[in-house]
Amino acid sequence: MDFDLDANQLAWLAEVREFLRENVTDALRAEIAEHNLEHPGGEVAAFRRKLGAKGWFGLNWPAEYGGLGLGAVHLHLLMSEFEYWGAPGPDLTVTSIAPMIMRHGTEQNKREFLPPIARGEITCALGYSEPDAGTDLASLRTRAVRDGDEWVINGSKIWNSGAQRSTHEWLCVRTDPNAQRHRGISVIVVPVDSPGVRIRPLIAWSGYRTNEVFFDDVRVPVTNLIGEENRGWAYITGALDLERGALTNAGDLRRALDELQVLARTPRRDGSVPIDNPAFRHRLAQTEADVEVAGLMGYQASSMLADGVIPTVEVSVEKVFSSELRQRIADLGIDLLGAEGLLAHRNPEAPAGGRFEKLYRFAPLMRFGGGTNEVLRDVIAQRGHGMPSYGR
Amino acid sequence: MKLVATQEDRDLSAMLRGLLAARGAEPSDALAAAGIFGLGIPEEYGGSGGTLSELGVFAREAGRALCPLATYSTVLAAHAVLMLGGEESRHRWLPDLAAGRTSATTALWNANDAADVTPALRADREPDGGWRLTGTADFVNDAETAGLVVVSGMDASGRTLGFVCNVRGPGVTMRPLTLMGGHCAACVRFDDVAVEDVLNDGKPLDRNQLRRTANAAVALTSLDLVGVGEAVLDRTVAYTTLRHQFGRPIASFQAAQHIVADMHIALTAARLAAQSAVFRIGRGDTAVRETAIARMHSATAAKWATLDAHQLHGGMGYVVETDLYLWSERARVLSTLGGGADVAATWLDDDEVSRAAIGERLRRKDGL
Repeated sequence: MDFDLDANQLAWLAEVREFLRENVTDALRAEIAEHNLEHPGGEVAAFRRKLGAKGWFGLNWPAEYGGLGLGAVHLHLLMSEFEYWGAPGPDLTVTSIAPMIMRHGTEQNKREFLPPIARGEITCALGYSEPDAGTDLASLRTRAVRDGDEWVINGSKIWNSGAQRSTHEWLCVRTDPNAQRHRGISVIVVPVDSPGVRIRPLIAWSGYRTNEVFFDDVRVPVTNLIGEENRGWAYITGALDLERGALTNAGDLRRALDELQVLARTPRRDGSVPIDNPAFRHRLAQTEADVEVAGLMGYQASSMLADGVIPTVEVSVEKVFSSELRQRIADLGIDLLGAEGLLAHRNPEAPAGGRFEKLYRFAPLMRFGGGTNEVLRDVIAQRGHGMPSYGR
Repeated sequence: MKLVATQEDRDLSAMLRGLLAARGAEPSDALAAAGIFGLGIPEEYGGSGGTLSELGVFAREAGRALCPLATYSTVLAAHAVLMLGGEESRHRWLPDLAAGRTSATTALWNANDAADVTPALRADREPDGGWRLTGTADFVNDAETAGLVVVSGMDASGRTLGFVCNVRGPGVTMRPLTLMGGHCAACVRFDDVAVEDVLNDGKPLDRNQLRRTANAAVALTSLDLVGVGEAVLDRTVAYTTLRHQFGRPIASFQAAQHIVADMHIALTAARLAAQSAVFRIGRGDTAVRETAIARMHSATAAKWATLDAHQLHGGMGYVVETDLYLWSERARVLSTLGGGADVAATWLDDDEVSRAAIGERLRRKDGL
């Protein structure tokens, strides 16, 4: 094992930081805070075009698919640094969907979808959960029926984050209603502007917007089906494993903790200094230890990916650990700041812009999203240690 | 950066697992024959070469197999001589220590807090240039069976010097301390004891090298704790899979699976942290931050793995004819000596490197 970044990785990190220093502007940050990435012609869109121009959306893809051919560790370093800066980086389309298209897609799938994904022109919302199929995803009921050269899709999806700004849905549908639950599922890529697609916003506690999306006789060419018909379960579980890894790099945790270390030494309005309280010192030390380990878990998962292994158990461990840590950090943040910690997000009087007030409301998402931590604990016990399934 | 075990590490670990499982009445002979005492000691001093990380591979397997802790006492004494120097002392002591021919121990840090490396003994200069030691070193591991002790003393001007002493020499008396798990330590009294050797060519010891020596002990025993926890996790999975209640294996209950998953998560955290600390110390760093984090995670993970294992074994794991308690005691002993998680948390405060790193990271966000 080697815990040092090599010269190549250090140079890469320097390049990423240089890019962020030059391109993360006040205007970009203001738009992120204000509009939750929803301005198609705004600062975020311009920032994304710069990323596309550098080829960073496909940085870990092979050159034959329009990628830069850099490794999983490079991607991890970039993602962690983007998270630290709070900048919108490569999204799940490039980190988890595209690898599944490369691995399982038809030649036409690859030619049609990969180059525009690499340019940042195609972004997908993940069409997995339904009102009656959440954690129990395999009981999904959205149907796709073949009609000549087209699939006709009917049903609805929920927790469909980003549908309002995505170009496509990466849609998980039932194509064989008679097959066993996991066996009759396929993945179809559906343009969001297709007739019959309707998006209803759902606003979460954190202010985060997600959606419910309805499909009413939506027609797409048969060639939009990814890979083979009725084999979709393997593609979405593979993508979910990658998604967990991408969702759980520790960059944002490191940033939150660095800010807490400063706030802990800054007098509050009543003149008291949080770090003078030994209980806070101890909680900060424990948080340092935990954030350090969350980072190591990310390096471990990306090292395995670099070896061509999908680290199912390892990213489950990382996701559970870092999501529960994120909740502890949010809680510590408000505790340290006391009453001032309650000053709302974006209140000019709030320390650190109220980021901990917001984080407290945001953190629950990461604990149940992307596979609930309860199911992931089952995965660790069953896939990691061969403990018997209890019929979930 | 590559956080997956190399093929060499996997081979070493498989070899050690076989060796430690098959050992007979005198484990140290087999370990000596396999060159374990010389892991991480350069070949020019009679060692087996390699890095401290390879000794770390041993530590993890040693915890898993409950290899007698006396092995560490000798190994850590050898690494103390290696780290504290000088050349003459290394050539004099390391060949026998690295071959396992001489047993030894250390009295270089406070058993309650490995960051406290203030000498316990007074070092008096003799007219002929020799040194004599007086005072009491408490909780010296395996002192009764060790031949030598690597110990620090403070001279009249307050400087810290390192020495090698014969534990059986005149003026050394000891009161054995019986600890949990039959672990052997002693309160050792030195009364004007003539030393065998002065380390570092007689020059005062560098405090960072002393901390690094203590940190090596903490980091390696942290990896031992990981091995303890992993062994207990494996046997808990095996037991709960065999044990049926309500007509099904108790391993099929989600409550049992979640306890196992939490053991796994905590042990993964502890393993990565401890491997990182051993790696950094092996690279020459004092690694205060990494060592603190390794101890915080490993002490907690191993203790709770063993206590949760008792919970999942129920009465079947509580009777002494099941030997589960041996791992539980080792976890409690090793997570205490040198300082537990609460003590280790305070080490983060005196880590200048990590404080500087926070400053550097915060400067980087200028304008953010």
